Amino acid sequence: MPTSSEVQVALPAGVDLHARPAAELVRTAMRFDARIVVRHGDRQADAKSLLAILALGATAGTTLRLEADGPDAPGALEGLAACVAGFA
Amino acid sequence: MVGIVLVSHSSELAAGLAELAGQMAGPGVAIEAAGGRADGGLGTDEDQVKAALVRADGGDGVVVLADLGSSILTVRHLLERRANGHVRLADAPFVEGAVSAAVIASAGAPVEDVARAAEEARDAHKL
Repeated sequence: MPTSSEVQVALPAGVDLHARPAAELVRTAMRFDARIVVRHGDRQADAKSLLAILALGATAGTTLRLEADGPDAPGALEGLAACVAGFA
Repeated sequence: MVGIVLVSHSSELAAGLAELAGQMAGPGVAIEAAGGRADGGLGTDEDQVKAALVRADGGDGVVVLADLGSSILTVRHLLERRANGHVRLADAPFVEGAVSAAVIASAGAPVEDVARAAEEARDAHKL
């Protein structure tokens, strides 16, 4: 049964969503079938598109809102929230 | 994993982009540079491209990105003679396409998805 859910997660201090963290986020998102959207301010990006994630321009300490839609949406959000919180 | 070949008129440009894309993709993706002529000048060397294709091919396919003009023609010419869908020339911007393709390849995606990730870079905004 398809489900849709949302979580919020803050980028850790000192970590902007630049090249390497963005790549890590995309790799994590690719493990799931769910369609995942990352929102930052009034912008949004497909979590599986590196260039879209980079264009969010999200900086350290700001909040990302993650929305997932699909059978594995809860696991996807859990995995992505852990990924973002674990950036160092 | 799908491999990536970067073809440029300049060996420094191809090598630098391979380094950048490799940093983002991690060590699992074969990213091979084929830049410049055999004598070190600017240009494209078909034998170098062929060798890079062999090095990049781990069995899951290869996506090729090329910078401009004759490097595109060289790759097209090569692939016409061995067209089987296993090696794809992406119609994509060189830097953004390569980085995007490398990261998607690092997630274990198939060759069609890696080529698409490169080509989606045509529409990507930076700001």
